[in-house]
Amino acid sequence: MNTAKRLLSYSLPYWRWLLLALILILITTLAVNALPLILQRITDACFVSTETPAEKRITLLFELGAVFLFLAAFGHIIRYAQALLTVWIGQKIIYDLRLAVFQKVLRMHQGYFDRTAVGTLMSRVTSDIERLQHFVTEGVVGSIADLFMIFGIMGYMLFMSPILSLTIFATLPLLFGVMYFVNVKLRDANRDIRDRQARLNALVQEDLTGMTTIQLFNREAAAISDFNERNTHLRSAYFDEVRWFSLYFPCIESGQALAILLTLAVGGFSILSGSEAITLGTFIAFLAYVRNFFHPLGSLSDKAGSFQIAMASVERVFNLLDEEEQIKNPDSPVEPNRIAGSIAFNDVWFAYTGENWVIKNLSFSVEPGQVIAVVGATGAGKSTIINLIGRFYDTQKGAVTIDGINVRDFNKHDLRSRLGYVFQDPFIFTGTVADNIGLQAPGIERSEIIRAAKTVNAHPFIEAMPQGYDTELNERGEGLSLGQKQLLVMARALAQNPELLFVLDEATASVDTATEMLIQDALAKLMANRTSIVIAHRLSTIRHADRILVMRHGELIDHGTHDELMARGGYYKQLYELLLHSPE
Amino acid sequence: MIDALEADALTKELLLKYLGQFILIGMVSIIFSRLIRQIPLKLCHKIEYELRADVFAHLTKLDQEYFRRERTGDLMTKLSSDINIIRDAIGQGLLQGIRTLITLISALVVMLLIDPQMTGLLFAVFIPTTLVFFLILRVMRRYQQDLQEHISEVSNFCQESFSGIRCLKGFALEKRRNSQFENLNSGLIRKTMRMQGTRQFLFPFMAFCFNLATILIMIIGGKRIIENNLSLGVLTQFSQYLFYMQWPILALSWVMSLMQRGKVSWIRVKAILETEPKIADFDFPEPEKLEASIQFKNLDLEIGGQLLLRNIDLEIPAGTTLGITGPTGSGKTLITSLVARLIDPTSGTVKIGGKDIRTVSLSSLRGMIGYAAQEPVLFSRTLEHNIGFGVENADQDLIGWAAEIAHLHGDIEGFPEQYKTMLGERGVTLSGGQRQRTSISRAIARRPDILILDDVLSSVDTQTEAAIMKKLQPVMNERTTLFVSHRVSTLRYSDEIIVIENGKITQRGTHNELISKPGYYAELNTMQQLQEKLEKGR
Repeated sequence: MNTAKRLLSYSLPYWRWLLLALILILITTLAVNALPLILQRITDACFVSTETPAEKRITLLFELGAVFLFLAAFGHIIRYAQALLTVWIGQKIIYDLRLAVFQKVLRMHQGYFDRTAVGTLMSRVTSDIERLQHFVTEGVVGSIADLFMIFGIMGYMLFMSPILSLTIFATLPLLFGVMYFVNVKLRDANRDIRDRQARLNALVQEDLTGMTTIQLFNREAAAISDFNERNTHLRSAYFDEVRWFSLYFPCIESGQALAILLTLAVGGFSILSGSEAITLGTFIAFLAYVRNFFHPLGSLSDKAGSFQIAMASVERVFNLLDEEEQIKNPDSPVEPNRIAGSIAFNDVWFAYTGENWVIKNLSFSVEPGQVIAVVGATGAGKSTIINLIGRFYDTQKGAVTIDGINVRDFNKHDLRSRLGYVFQDPFIFTGTVADNIGLQAPGIERSEIIRAAKTVNAHPFIEAMPQGYDTELNERGEGLSLGQKQLLVMARALAQNPELLFVLDEATASVDTATEMLIQDALAKLMANRTSIVIAHRLSTIRHADRILVMRHGELIDHGTHDELMARGGYYKQLYELLLHSPE
Repeated sequence: MIDALEADALTKELLLKYLGQFILIGMVSIIFSRLIRQIPLKLCHKIEYELRADVFAHLTKLDQEYFRRERTGDLMTKLSSDINIIRDAIGQGLLQGIRTLITLISALVVMLLIDPQMTGLLFAVFIPTTLVFFLILRVMRRYQQDLQEHISEVSNFCQESFSGIRCLKGFALEKRRNSQFENLNSGLIRKTMRMQGTRQFLFPFMAFCFNLATILIMIIGGKRIIENNLSLGVLTQFSQYLFYMQWPILALSWVMSLMQRGKVSWIRVKAILETEPKIADFDFPEPEKLEASIQFKNLDLEIGGQLLLRNIDLEIPAGTTLGITGPTGSGKTLITSLVARLIDPTSGTVKIGGKDIRTVSLSSLRGMIGYAAQEPVLFSRTLEHNIGFGVENADQDLIGWAAEIAHLHGDIEGFPEQYKTMLGERGVTLSGGQRQRTSISRAIARRPDILILDDVLSSVDTQTEAAIMKKLQPVMNERTTLFVSHRVSTLRYSDEIIVIENGKITQRGTHNELISKPGYYAELNTMQQLQEKLEKGR
């Protein structure tokens, strides 16, 4: 679908309001542009004509003056109402779009987030939408108002004096042509400016984050010269813009001057030749019209320029909305009451991209209540297993089942709310500690939150914080150590009380000994009586697992209990010894 | 001319003469009008350029602490939009401000000369109008600020939702998140409407006031015309001036708000320029090559009122390795930062080759050092560029050697364009371990006299760790090395190991000495060995 058309479709729900806005614009145009007409009447009837007596003329003057004021007040009030209405409609449309984009992003599959930077998504919901909003409120509706204003004035001018009007209108195509040309040039210059500014910003962003590195490696001079190169580039784009911009207003001004000149010339000659067609009042009213005429004309051609920019934003937004959602909900999801908690992988093949298989022909099953540890070197495909269970990705071949039900037959929400996750990098939301544990889920009581925290040994340090459970945390979880964040995230997983399943990706980063003990204890409690799959890095976890899966290059090469595997020797034993970092 | 028309005294010749004058004046004023725009605008872009270059150059001199304190986003805003606002304030302020003043004053003078009474009348309308206008403007600005805060709240919310997407999906929070977003989004409409309610009022209000002024002039002037006290020409002229004044007055308020914003931005940007680099650098005469021994003498370090390092005395002979360990946050990284002068001690000295490092120029000091950090920053360039970052014209052999030592060569072979592969968004994204290894290569590619490795193997898995240590060990042995680590297995080969707890050196000695003394190191060792033994006993 055509981009502009599609954008228009977002305004359809508000067509009644839009119609009202149009009517209000029409009324404003008629009212405001009638004002010079009254001035003409005043001039002609009160000042120039000498037949009527002075008193009568003064009365007429006051009467016309009152009409003028009333009309002006009326016109401007309507204009105010119209402006507000327009803004409101624009806001409504943008509201819908913004919401659509946000919801869309949340629906996207994990693979999309792997290749799309958060910054890119952010600029869709912020700057692109903002540009769009500007365009919708000021641009589209503003242009309609401008167009009406122009045609309104033209109408009044024609009504007053066709000859004079046509003379002035004759200059318009030329003027519009010149303005259009300048606008095209300006648009090009502006695009250059934006591109170059973006490139400069990218450089600066990186240099600022890496400033210490730059200093440590004595690269300051190189960084400055890279910066200056792009800065100079940007400046030359600005100079280009100035060159055309400085032509722009003189163009409008000369058009205006030309029109005044024509009015004076044609009007002057016609009055001289004794024609009755043009009166002095007409003359004065025309001067007023000409002035009002060029303002909307200028802003109209300006908006034509911003149209292109806005369309680029709209296109980006629509492209996002059109992204294919790869992980879809089934048409008729299965919703078992309770799941016992057996998991099975049947001949699963999976690749993040193309044919680079990360999981090759993987089959295993987990009995309810079992704890399974997955071990293997980095890149062996361990984390992928838990990603497949939660349908962050879908398998290419084979099936993952829970209680014999293919995970694809669950509603995604339903599936994930039955699973409990602890990720390697603990993510903290802005909000209180309690919110971070309870996730503001309806029906989670404070007492449950505290119980969860106590279970995973998080209670003591939370209590020690300034406002305890009501302490506000920010996104980065400042003020919390890594170990504390991990405990907090475990409390969160526990508080959500997932039905039967725990899926954990153990953190590798080192924490101090005391915290390490707390975490190990918490892990053991988390997994008690629940089917759990752990990507294990801790020896204690591995040893206590009911069964261990040994992964290598995406393949399951061995499985069994720790003792069995050790007895068998081979890869597991090597791996285990390395995990102990025994140098001898 | 209007007067002449009215008096029927206008002849064709006279009309032509007037028209000729009009054209001439028009042409001159168009050229003038272009110049009057071009000159200040070009000027302001030049100022913008210089200012931005100055700020950036100044930033390269500022210390690490500054960048830790300031958020990158804030600095970015200052370098882009704040500088743009300053430029606009200068450019538009000059351009519009001067034009407006000239127009207003000249119109005023002419009007006063023609008819003081009517001028007075105009002022009676204009002054209250302008006052009300500014009042509305002030209210509007408050609403605007309110709206701006809400907008950033919305974008923070999005940012958090997107970066925490896995957690959000893992806990099936989409619905809750969506409804929270809906609330924020509606707030946006409400606040926008409130702001626009005042903003949209401005134009109709001003336009109406001008209509009011026009009609007052028409009525009062008209009465006098009818009473034959005033010529129609004067009246017309007056209403023309009124039109002329309409835009400048509106523009004036715009320029004033622009200047206001410009001032605020300037204060923000100036704050950067006025920040003195805490690490003062002077042009010291280039010393003959310093010996790579390091000494810490009686050193204290205090940041933000907290004593982070206390009474540090260290002696690291050239060519030896110092292992540093201790709990997280105890001050290990600070020791390494002090050697590279990323930070200066509050009291005491750091000496290299017996010379206080504050009397050595920063570039020659840092030229001796190869530094690899735990969370390294890499640049969106090629891998080659990143590894050879600290070397002028690094050749292939050097880069290959450095990559080999850090056990990175194999990974690189697997990349689409090997060493020419771009990092970052436009290329490959490295894993945490690969980033750390790249940073190790970058440090050793300099072939530094002093090598600083700050917990650089924390994201590397155990197999790779052993492989790296094997290759790295000879490189470390050739130079003075500061080696921060949590693992006894990697620390044990150091010539001396220190344990830092709470900013103090609590233990020092060789691996063998330390394991026999009670304390942190022995504990660390037993813990790691206990796990080992537990296994063997089974």
